[in-house]
Amino acid sequence: MLLLPRFDYEEPKDLSEACRILAGLKGNGKVIAGGTDLLVNMKKGLISPTCLVGISKIPGLSEIEPQNGSIFIGSNLIVAKLTEFEVIKKKYPMLYEAASVLGSPLIRNRATIGGNIVTARPAADLPPPLIAMGARVRLKNRRGEREVELDRFFKGPGETIIKKDEILTGIILDEPPIFSGGNYIKLGHRKALEIAIVAVASFIVLDKPDGIIMDAKVILSSVAPKAIHAVSAEKTLIGEKPTDKLIERAANLASQDCSPIDDIRGSAQYRCAMVEVLTKRTLTAALKQAKKSR
Amino acid sequence: MNDFSVINKRLPRVDAWSKVTGEARYAADLSMPNMLYAVLLQSPLAHAKILNIDTSAAKKVVGVKDVVTYKEAGTIHYGVSPARYDETMFCYDKVRYVGDEIAAVAAVDFETAMEAVSLIKVDYEELPVYLNIFDAMKEGAVPIHDDYPNNIGAEVHQEFGNVEEALKECDYVRTDKFVNKKQDGGFLEPQACLAHFDMNGNLTLYTSTQTPHYVQRTVSMVLNIPIGKVKVVKPYVGGGFGPKASANTIELAASLLSMRTGRPVKMVMSREQVFMHSRGRHQFYHELTTGVKKDGTIYALKNTCYLDGGAYSSFGIATVYYAGSLLGAPYRLPNMRYDGYRVYTNKPACGAQRGHGGVAARAAWEQQLDIIAEELGIDPIEFRLKNVREKGEVTCNDFNLSSFGMKECLEAIRDRSDWRNKKGKLPKGKGIGVACGFFVSGAGYPIYRSETFHSTAMIKLSEDGGTVELYTAAAEIGQGSDTVLTMIAAEALGVRYEDVKIYSGDTDYGVDLGAYSSRQTLMSGHAVKQAAEDVKKQVLEVLSKRLNVPVEDMDIKDGYIVFKKGQVDFSGIRSYYVKEHRGWAEQPGDDKLTFKEAARIAYIEKGTIVSAGAYKPGELGGKYKGATVGTSPAYGCSAQIVEVTVDMETGKVTVDKMTDAHDCGFAINRTNVEGQMQGSLSMGLGEALFEEVKFDEKGRVANPTFGEYRIPTALDMPNVNTIIIESNEPNGPFGAKEVGEGAIMPTIPAILNAIYDAVGVRIDELPVTSERIYNAIKEKERKK
Ligand SMILES: Cc1cc2nc3c(=O)[nH]c(=O)nc-3n(C[C@H](O)[C@H](O)[C@H](O)COP(=O)(O)OP(=O)(O)OC[C@H]3O[C@@H](n4cnc5c(N)ncnc54)[C@H](O)[C@@H]3O)c2cc1C
Repeated sequence: MLLLPRFDYEEPKDLSEACRILAGLKGNGKVIAGGTDLLVNMKKGLISPTCLVGISKIPGLSEIEPQNGSIFIGSNLIVAKLTEFEVIKKKYPMLYEAASVLGSPLIRNRATIGGNIVTARPAADLPPPLIAMGARVRLKNRRGEREVELDRFFKGPGETIIKKDEILTGIILDEPPIFSGGNYIKLGHRKALEIAIVAVASFIVLDKPDGIIMDAKVILSSVAPKAIHAVSAEKTLIGEKPTDKLIERAANLASQDCSPIDDIRGSAQYRCAMVEVLTKRTLTAALKQAKKSR
Repeated sequence: MNDFSVINKRLPRVDAWSKVTGEARYAADLSMPNMLYAVLLQSPLAHAKILNIDTSAAKKVVGVKDVVTYKEAGTIHYGVSPARYDETMFCYDKVRYVGDEIAAVAAVDFETAMEAVSLIKVDYEELPVYLNIFDAMKEGAVPIHDDYPNNIGAEVHQEFGNVEEALKECDYVRTDKFVNKKQDGGFLEPQACLAHFDMNGNLTLYTSTQTPHYVQRTVSMVLNIPIGKVKVVKPYVGGGFGPKASANTIELAASLLSMRTGRPVKMVMSREQVFMHSRGRHQFYHELTTGVKKDGTIYALKNTCYLDGGAYSSFGIATVYYAGSLLGAPYRLPNMRYDGYRVYTNKPACGAQRGHGGVAARAAWEQQLDIIAEELGIDPIEFRLKNVREKGEVTCNDFNLSSFGMKECLEAIRDRSDWRNKKGKLPKGKGIGVACGFFVSGAGYPIYRSETFHSTAMIKLSEDGGTVELYTAAAEIGQGSDTVLTMIAAEALGVRYEDVKIYSGDTDYGVDLGAYSSRQTLMSGHAVKQAAEDVKKQVLEVLSKRLNVPVEDMDIKDGYIVFKKGQVDFSGIRSYYVKEHRGWAEQPGDDKLTFKEAARIAYIEKGTIVSAGAYKPGELGGKYKGATVGTSPAYGCSAQIVEVTVDMETGKVTVDKMTDAHDCGFAINRTNVEGQMQGSLSMGLGEALFEEVKFDEKGRVANPTFGEYRIPTALDMPNVNTIIIESNEPNGPFGAKEVGEGAIMPTIPAILNAIYDAVGVRIDELPVTSERIYNAIKEKERKK
């Protein structure tokens, strides 16, 4: 039997109380959102915080708010909800795609976007599209608040730049540029409840519908300790006119941009090959969308 | 249409309400006042000598009530087949796999027990670890069990006809190899039990099991208590699929601890422990050589198989036989040779799992037959139709096919799947494949040598005549036996489904060998039918005297007495009944005499009306060694067509459609039959595409969770077209035989054959992961 260790539980009514409690715990406290990662790790004995701080009673953390052009997604928003908002589906379709393939309906009803980020699993579904779209995260502690690019947030498996007394309050996504498009594909064994063997998120911006690529992001997941950029693929794409040939070249470069490992989900060799396939597919889909978008 | 009132219909399960509302209680839900919780100490090493066990620190923990090792438990050997009793409750000389049980601690709560168990100190001397059969069989390998120096725990050599000669007469011969992976039962409910040894020296063990009877015998033997003092009760069970078909250590340990402490003791396995305890599907290494004539006549089969058995024998003696014998049908095969070897390794023990012993063999052979059909230029369905056996035939290994709708199954799936317009005509990446299957309908013999009945049943009528109480020790484990037995009782007696109340899964209710080898509908069904017919006779005999109507001129149907020769004046009985039950609910009022009234009269005349039924198979075929594994009173068969899409770039397979026909003899409950077909297909799909228990280099299960051990989700299952074929089995109650296991047989090979049709590669290793297909496609491109 896996048993939860003993711990205290606090449920602050607002952010400042939450920050105060966390600061007082001097590193021995942990925020609990959906608990789908945290409680599993506690049962396995990997971590044993003395106190969990629930954030569900804090107003504003479970909502989506437009903020002059960009949107703010509260960190405590459950993943199931992410798939329900029209604005996500329309403006940030790849976030919608990633959210709809995360876990299963049961998991999506508890798992939060904030938890998915802070937990920093190498195969987490939401960070790749968020990084590709240039998301920023807002972090708050008793002394103040800071905003960090998500791209600079992760350090390695389970490791991020968040401080022990900081709360991730939300994610900010800017209005996507005109003529931009993105796509996320996760390759797993089953159709649900699947940790990716490989996943790729691609995002491109064109200068005009049949113009050149102004910006390109190709994010590879499950092939490194954290989601990474396919750097040479991105370089190859930027400034070029998109063609099938170009996409194939970029896809091929992407497979050389990573050095995955063999594990029980798949071999390194297969993963590299799949990076190529998925990069090609996501770029093709992103391009199609970019041409249509305005 | 037939004129049955209850059977052959789609009635809701008797346990539907309690399951959907959560009223149903499973073993882990049970508790008793003053109950202790116990946990096991299990070996962290895969192979080691035990030098010393020090429990002193554990005993000192406040709240700990007892700590037991082999010193307290003794070393009585047990297992499944008496010929291979190779387990003891706790290890005493050595440990043989990661998870082997060493000690148990009972304490006032789980936390305390867990803490205490971590304080037990064991000194080991490590031995070489054998994680595959090749290492285990190597010259000079340390024996895992002393009695088997080369680590081959069981060997089978059988020949029917003359294979070498026959192969010479064949026009086409080919040899193929095939290997599957160790698989887990994947049932949702981990094993759990609650043992209570009372002041009178009676032990009651509530446990999640498929076989209360075998558990009762093992507990009685290992703990040395008379069998009559051991009562095993099976609460609701959340699936078994084979691994719960024998006694396990927590059942023994909880019983021992309860006897020693005088308090109820509860034990629950974690999912990881379920994976370590295993007893699931073996890994089979098959090599098959098949010879056919030019015209497509299958003529000879040589089958060699090595089984990775894990650390103990469990059901493996039967498994190693089944891996050969189950290929004796469904085709006319005059010459068959089988050489099987079951090898001990330092991994969790393998045992029986749905389709016992035959699933990998079937997958291997049906894929090979598909290759042969293609080589001969014959459509794979026509090829099979040409070779299938029919009712009344006897196989080369003496299986009597007393009913056999194999041809009907094949024709049905061919026509219902539109095979003719699809085979060979689908675009690249899309494929269609077919396969057949075959299985026993109940093991012909108990697992221990005995003349015992395989199933008994009792029926008792309530004193008001309104309720039929059915007692059976058969094990409802989710497959629906309670429903089917209730329906059989109602039909045979002539009452309504809702008039029968079933009590099952308790060894005090009789003998029933349990839920394994697809036996209960046929065997328990026979016993129940017999008991019901006897009650009917008793009631009609009393009625006959009262009304002066010969028994033959009466019947009971839908809860009423039928007078075959016209209306009879029963007003005396009616007014008598009404007078006796004034003010009671449900008074008989209409113009027909009810069963209730008749049964009341019978009670007044004779006292409580009780009856008993008992079944064991009659004389079965086969005088050769091992004939007891595979001979059965009846055989089920099935055929399946699977359609798939394969992503040519990633290798990912999507199963789009399955068309499945199964000959169950006669469907007692049509919905249940379809449920078994659907469930079998889903398990087969998982085994084909996803499932594999993996080990790290130390022999630890690397994926002991349902996150990394992947059983199919609802989204992975396509829509299934289920077709029930009814061949009316003469040896089955109302013509019924199995569906529980046979239905899984064709699934894996049908998927393999469909994948070949889609992308032109043959995969001879399960599971067929995307990566495996991708590699095969690349390999094929390279060779071009
Ligand atoms: C069966 C199963 C399937 C899964 N499938 C997937 C999958 O397909 N894809 C996937 O990406 N993940 C999957 N997961 C992992 C997990 O569900 C997700 O990562 C989820 O989004 C975590 O969110 P949560 O709200 O449950 O986080 P929690 O478990 O509550 O927290 C996770 C971590 O984040 C910290 N944290 C949470 N919120 C905050 C905050 N606002 N500020 C600071 N720190 C915070 C916690 O302290 C903890 O360290 C699965 C998990 C399970 C159990």
